[in-house]
Amino acid sequence: MAVVHNRGILRFAATELTTSELALQAEVREFLDHELPGGSRRPGLGFNAPADREFSRKLGARGWLGMALPKRYGGGERTAVERFVVTEELLSRGAPVGHHWVADRQSGAVIARFGTEEQKTTFLPGVCSGELGFSIGMSEPDAGSDLAAVRTRATRVDGGWTVNGTKVWTTGAHRNDFMVTLCRTDDSEDRHAGLTQLIIDLRADGVTVNPIPFIDGTHDFNEVVLDDVFIADSRVLGDVGQGWSQNTAELAFERGGPDRYLSTYPVIEQFLREAAPGSLGAESARFLGHATATWWVLRNLSLSIARAIDAGGSPVQEAALVKEIGTRFEQDLLLGVQSLLDIEPSPESQSLFEQLLCEAILTAPSNTIRGGTTEILLSVAAKGLAR
Amino acid sequence: MNNGALLDQAVGELFSREITPGVLADAERDGWSQPLWSAISEMGLPGVGLPEEHGGQGGSVADSLAVLRIAGWHALPLPLAETGLLGGWLLSSSGLPIPATPLTTVAQRDGDDLSWDGATVTGVLRGVPWARHCSHVVALVDGAVVQLSRDELTVTAATNLAGEPRDTIVCDHVTPVAWAAAGVGVDLESLRLRGALTRVCLMAGAIERVLDVTVRHTDERRQFGKPIARFQAVQAHLVHIAQQAAIASMAADVAAREYARGHAAFEVWAAKTMCGEAARIATRAAHQAHGAMGMTQEYVLHHLTRRLWSWTREYEDIGWARRIGDVVIERGADGLYPLITAGSGPRL
Repeated sequence: MAVVHNRGILRFAATELTTSELALQAEVREFLDHELPGGSRRPGLGFNAPADREFSRKLGARGWLGMALPKRYGGGERTAVERFVVTEELLSRGAPVGHHWVADRQSGAVIARFGTEEQKTTFLPGVCSGELGFSIGMSEPDAGSDLAAVRTRATRVDGGWTVNGTKVWTTGAHRNDFMVTLCRTDDSEDRHAGLTQLIIDLRADGVTVNPIPFIDGTHDFNEVVLDDVFIADSRVLGDVGQGWSQNTAELAFERGGPDRYLSTYPVIEQFLREAAPGSLGAESARFLGHATATWWVLRNLSLSIARAIDAGGSPVQEAALVKEIGTRFEQDLLLGVQSLLDIEPSPESQSLFEQLLCEAILTAPSNTIRGGTTEILLSVAAKGLAR
Repeated sequence: MNNGALLDQAVGELFSREITPGVLADAERDGWSQPLWSAISEMGLPGVGLPEEHGGQGGSVADSLAVLRIAGWHALPLPLAETGLLGGWLLSSSGLPIPATPLTTVAQRDGDDLSWDGATVTGVLRGVPWARHCSHVVALVDGAVVQLSRDELTVTAATNLAGEPRDTIVCDHVTPVAWAAAGVGVDLESLRLRGALTRVCLMAGAIERVLDVTVRHTDERRQFGKPIARFQAVQAHLVHIAQQAAIASMAADVAAREYARGHAAFEVWAAKTMCGEAARIATRAAHQAHGAMGMTQEYVLHHLTRRLWSWTREYEDIGWARRIGDVVIERGADGLYPLITAGSGPRL
């Protein structure tokens, strides 16, 4: 349906899955029914889900990792929509996606886009098979939303670079293999110039990974100290000095996907699973109905972004718009479900729902922070509305 | 350009030309605008999506829903949905001819008590849009579609929050000018669903316009030496309106698409639920961004926001969110995600 009036304002075209995309959906559902039957285990919450290298390998064997990457590096040369189909099924089941998540979503994509032939040959097959885990080395103690303030420094030496600095809040660095690291390589007048991305082996000499306990006591975050770490020229990702623009492109991969409205879905599904027959009254029905309508419309918006990417578009502002609203919705659901219940949630409860609720209450504030805070996203989206 | 796009363009041009601030003000004062009705009738808009053999203009339901989107954008102060998609549909689906005059209808709600004894209609129907200015009221009552002449009814004037007529009619053994057993697929549920879908489309158009006028206003309005759109706090309002416009638009697009295919209960329920929330958030942010100017009747915003507040409640008596929730509960945990992805399908 053509809307003739809102020219120039953020645009989302309605789309739907094709027959072959629906067939892929059925295939993924069948696989997950077998691997992770509903109610049989503790689901993970979004990309906070547990890391399970074995599970990631199985996905890789199915061709469901690195789906958009070139075939000659082990990828599937499939579309953003096909990747969307696989991702939403994994997240709605609370699948253990922690091991491959970052590599599959963004590191593989930036290496494919900016990397050398040797880097692609070295890293991408491992991304596609579910073997390699990547971390994102962006944040530092004094560089959060303001990434141009990074101080980790790479200094030119014979045959490469020596890196010194500290990255913080680095998810999964203790278990992953590599970290795409934003470093300062030049002190320029322009703060956005002089930044470079390096691929750092997390087991290299001079790399120390220290845990930073997450709010719920789990080990997810790390401090990564880089002390005279030698990085060969062959591990510079893209061009020296182009780290900022590459990084911006990388963040676009991080926004607008189904992970931005499904993180707390397993909590609500488990609420429904545990409810005694006949126990859910009108108030619960209204809450569940409203939540379902919201998932439905956010899914349609997110799917529309994937379709736009496949058509060659760059819906950066649209993705920011959806991420901002989706991440707030994920949190609102927790308030909504608690308003239906007379409980004081305890992590030691016998109820899996209550355990998940506790985990979600504690971790959900991160949803509106990681990958761009609400405030940054509002500012990105507002650029699409400027006249 | 396809036929739908040509129609959209022609309708957009007509409404832009005819629906001026003065026309909107006059229509609110008088409860009607005859010149505007003549203009939309000449273009055949009330009959779009209705079969030609019953007096319609042909075209698809999708076409007429698209016209309603544009009507919502312009705050069209006339019973376009009632004459065409609702009243015209009730008549033509039950084999009755559609008169070439303005019609109105509304689904019965709690407190209404129309009854049909096979020959005459008796009882009260409230919230009938523009009843006082329509030639006929079409009603679905006790399994029959009846066409009542306004002159046979007692009409008590009432309005909605937007100042549009939402009259009460009282029938005392009124003999219809035409009637028939309700056609296949015509019942209270399907009328409510269609009514809700008309409001979804009107609301999506209106919220898109609210975004448009707020973006313009905040760019033009200067305070503290710069356009207020330069302030982050104001930008946040703009983004929140844009989000709700995207949500309402997408909801309307998907609901209309599925309705045209024949199975859209879930989509219409969900779209009406989302448009209601979108209206609440977008109108609040838009008024905040407009300041005192938006609180006046001189400025266009109130034509949109007051209608949005009215449309939010219309065809909402059933509580669509609760209906979705009942389906969710019935299907259980394993059925939830498939419901979100597949929607109504033929089975809902």
